[in-house]
Amino acid sequence: MLKFSKSHEWAKIDGSTAMMGITDYAQHSLGDIVFVELPKAGTKVTQSGRLGTIESTKAASELYSPISGEVIEVNKELAGKPQLVNEDPLGRGWMIKIKIANQKESEGLMDEAQYREFVEKEKH
Amino acid sequence: MPYILNTEADIKEMLKAIGLNSLDELFRRLPGQIRLKEPLKIAAGLSEYQVKSAVAALAAKNTPVDGFNSFLGAGCYDHYIPAALPSIISRSEFVTAYTPYQAEASQGSLQAIYEYQSYICLLTGMDVANASMFDGASSMAEAALMALRITGRDKIVVSGSIHPEFRQTLKTYLSGFDFTIKNVGFDEHGFVDTGSLNEAIDGRSACFIAQSPNFFGLIEDAAKIGRMIKEKGAIFIMVANPLSLAILNDPASLGVDIFCGDGQPLGGALNFGGPAFGILATRNEYLRQLPGRIVGKTTDRQGKEAYCLTMQAREQHIRREKATSNICSNQSLNAIGAAVYLSLMGKEGLTGAALRSLEMARYLHECLKNVGKVKIKFSSRFFNEFVWEIEGAKKIVKKLYKKRIIAGFLLGEFYPKLKNCILSCCTEKKSKGDIDNFIETLKNVIC
Amino acid sequence: MNNKLIFEKSSPGRKTGYFPDSGISLAQAQELLGKDYVRRDLPLPSLGELEVVRHYTNLSRMNFSVDSNFYPLGSCTMKYNPKINEALSSLEGFTNIHPYQNEDGVQGALEIIYNLEEMLREITGMRRFSFQASSGAQGEFTGMLMIKKYHETSGNKKTKVIVPDSSHGTNPATASMCGYETVVVKSTRDGLIDLDELKKVVDGHTAGIMLTNPNTIGLFEENILEVGRLIHEQGGLLYYDGANFNALLGVTKTSLMGFDVVHLNLHKTFSTPHGCGGPGAGAVGVTEKLVDFLPAPVVEKKDGTFYLNHKIKNSIGRVRGFYGNFTVLVRAYAYLLRLGREGILRVSQNAVLNASYIREKLKDYYELASTLPCMHEVVFSCEKQAQKGARVMDIAKRLIDYGIHPPTIYFPLIVKEALMVEPTETESKATIDYFIEAMLEINKEIDANPDSVRNAPHSTCIKRPDEVKAARQPDLRYRY
Repeated sequence: MLKFSKSHEWAKIDGSTAMMGITDYAQHSLGDIVFVELPKAGTKVTQSGRLGTIESTKAASELYSPISGEVIEVNKELAGKPQLVNEDPLGRGWMIKIKIANQKESEGLMDEAQYREFVEKEKH
Repeated sequence: MPYILNTEADIKEMLKAIGLNSLDELFRRLPGQIRLKEPLKIAAGLSEYQVKSAVAALAAKNTPVDGFNSFLGAGCYDHYIPAALPSIISRSEFVTAYTPYQAEASQGSLQAIYEYQSYICLLTGMDVANASMFDGASSMAEAALMALRITGRDKIVVSGSIHPEFRQTLKTYLSGFDFTIKNVGFDEHGFVDTGSLNEAIDGRSACFIAQSPNFFGLIEDAAKIGRMIKEKGAIFIMVANPLSLAILNDPASLGVDIFCGDGQPLGGALNFGGPAFGILATRNEYLRQLPGRIVGKTTDRQGKEAYCLTMQAREQHIRREKATSNICSNQSLNAIGAAVYLSLMGKEGLTGAALRSLEMARYLHECLKNVGKVKIKFSSRFFNEFVWEIEGAKKIVKKLYKKRIIAGFLLGEFYPKLKNCILSCCTEKKSKGDIDNFIETLKNVIC
Repeated sequence: MNNKLIFEKSSPGRKTGYFPDSGISLAQAQELLGKDYVRRDLPLPSLGELEVVRHYTNLSRMNFSVDSNFYPLGSCTMKYNPKINEALSSLEGFTNIHPYQNEDGVQGALEIIYNLEEMLREITGMRRFSFQASSGAQGEFTGMLMIKKYHETSGNKKTKVIVPDSSHGTNPATASMCGYETVVVKSTRDGLIDLDELKKVVDGHTAGIMLTNPNTIGLFEENILEVGRLIHEQGGLLYYDGANFNALLGVTKTSLMGFDVVHLNLHKTFSTPHGCGGPGAGAVGVTEKLVDFLPAPVVEKKDGTFYLNHKIKNSIGRVRGFYGNFTVLVRAYAYLLRLGREGILRVSQNAVLNASYIREKLKDYYELASTLPCMHEVVFSCEKQAQKGARVMDIAKRLIDYGIHPPTIYFPLIVKEALMVEPTETESKATIDYFIEAMLEINKEIDANPDSVRNAPHSTCIKRPDEVKAARQPDLRYRY
């Protein structure tokens, strides 16, 4: 189940875990990504809470967690290849896996169609 | 009018183009009540010749250290500056350029700063250095802020034998927050009191900051200190005179995580204390927490080697209130000067300067030891300066001064318990003759 | 041009020999200090003087500089740096004095600081100055810490600092370093601070506001007295970021505008050189109520003798070692002596004239960021050009081919495709006309063939560097 947040993160929910990253729209507006700062495994995160930072050459943006829980895995590949977020934001550019604390929270996130509509509105 | 090229005719023509009648109208949006009604109460302008005479007369009121037989150091050192250094560094292409934002028009400064960063890394053994800070004191304060960010802890432990003005600066830099600063004293040999350190450093401590050679000139057992700090998971910050590193162990090999110091000994003039520059270097893992400008090497569109400012997303102009620091400009010209100095001196020259400073300081130490009434205060493991004690130190220093000898720095100003202690320094500019003259005069003064 | 690194030019065995050899060897040093303390190898190059001189001389020739090029970098005030200032500041009487030597040997130095303070007091209307800060940003830090201590001493708990959205990045960064929360106030469509928005956020928790005036769009904040009233009513203070003070020299004083603390960038307004990014000096001035919070020491005079006063009651402490960037102060002092009272006014008049003239000549081709008249700098929005295929970055790079250092770009952040031009008063009409022509020419080029602009610069030693690569794979130092 693929869900989206208003701060342009995606969450792929698979049972009790969620994988997250940023959307194609987000990576496109940030431009060439040069650095991703992520929390360590074991860190507790909350929905819409600060998760880390993502940097392009000319900007730095905050990352927010789409869902509350505990970080169980971090994409180590991003440390050496932050460009994966540009090249494959929903695939190899994933950022962390979270053990979900509260399944109900996902209901507050958008589905793909809703997100597409949300992005269209934001463009204008 | 000095420095203005627009003639009256130019001004008239330009005003006409804009559609105004007078220069005054350029300021028409200023509310009347804030406009100055009278000229400033400042003297009329002078010709260049008059300015030169007036300012040169003030310079002549000062007595340069070279006019004395001086043994004054205490954080600002009178080293020999090769003539080629000011010649290069006063080139107006360096002097009158701005921060190298536009890489294509600034390759010269960028490569020079990259070389500076490299030199600092080679000297300290650290992985990365920034393009410089304002001075050693503010650099140390920024290092402490780095440690607080890295560890998320809230206590700074600092050695009492760090330059007092560095510690005062640290206090100011942290005064906006509720952090704790804990001072660790020194033992009877002048070294960090490891017993107190053990007590002071705990799970809340972000770092321990030590200076080596410390303010008393003594070379600390930094490796041991490093191990003690690491056990508590804290960051080890070391301050040092960079010239001492020509012969002393590099900080990285001692377990130092962040290195800082004042760059003045690397070719900087005394300048009444400024400008010089601050050094800040660290390990790769803390790179993102390093404040200030950083120059990186890359390639241009045609694959040619090129340099540019990099990792700017850490900085204030992008990250604003979330930046690693508010630092914007630094002391580039002085840092480039250090790169030029290190190039001119080279491996042999730098080692030579450090060894000759050590040799002369040792000789002074030996001579003083044999002067009655003089007591050597601390350990003899020092680099270019050391502390000695004599009853009535203040008076003796004054008498020596009248005979054109600056004996050193009276420590009582910062350490009331050391009121009869003098910190004396030798650089490679000193000769045995200078030292013999000092000792003879001292003997005359005390009997 | 050969741009090998200096390290690659090393030949072991070369030695310059600037002073007598040491009588002790490294091995002897090991014996004296203990083996564990002395390093085995020093990985530095060995070079000859000519190589070093040639290397750095050639590097310098790869730079644009005020002495060689028009440098209209907005907010940076790249005016001419008079040579007499350089000559005087390098006199041995200034460079070879020690910060801890007896005060009787540094009377001339102290007198310069004293006199410079007196002049800046008259120029700004502030009561006292500190010269410790080494830059504008450090000046901001000094000033904001004084504001903080002022509030704390009066027992007021203040938590936030207001900055306009057009402010320099150093302002919010400084507020954070002082432990304040930053509140951003929007600007009006004209580019001025929005009073209605300001009223919404000012309250008893407001420690102060940080303002540049003229602001970064080059406009005079004409409601400054009203802003001051709103902030002061709530017990807050006004901080003046002096980056743009060149526009107002001799026309008004910061005290008349209602500011409580100011910093002046001596390396902008007072003609001291920028040195590839420093050293500068930030002189921080305060009104009477903040005098007790200044960093110590300050210079005082008693019976004709100058001395350093270390005893300031509620001093915030020091922000660096010793007394600041002294030889920078010598330059600023010489500059002010030379200008005198009429020269000072001529600075702001010509700075504003030159910018206004550029504004007039380019406004039909490049869109203005504001319809209000500009002061010492003018900001354009190059959106129209961007739509045609050449972004402001491209225009900037193309200017390099015309021998002009690019203006500031993409700042202020609230102007899209911003191009911020600050010509300064020291440039001639002929130079300004040449710049205008170049801008018009580039505009034509964009219409005809944006590619030539997009691929600029064509004339420099390198083409555009790959900044993405530089940041993704940081190479920040040479390794042997």
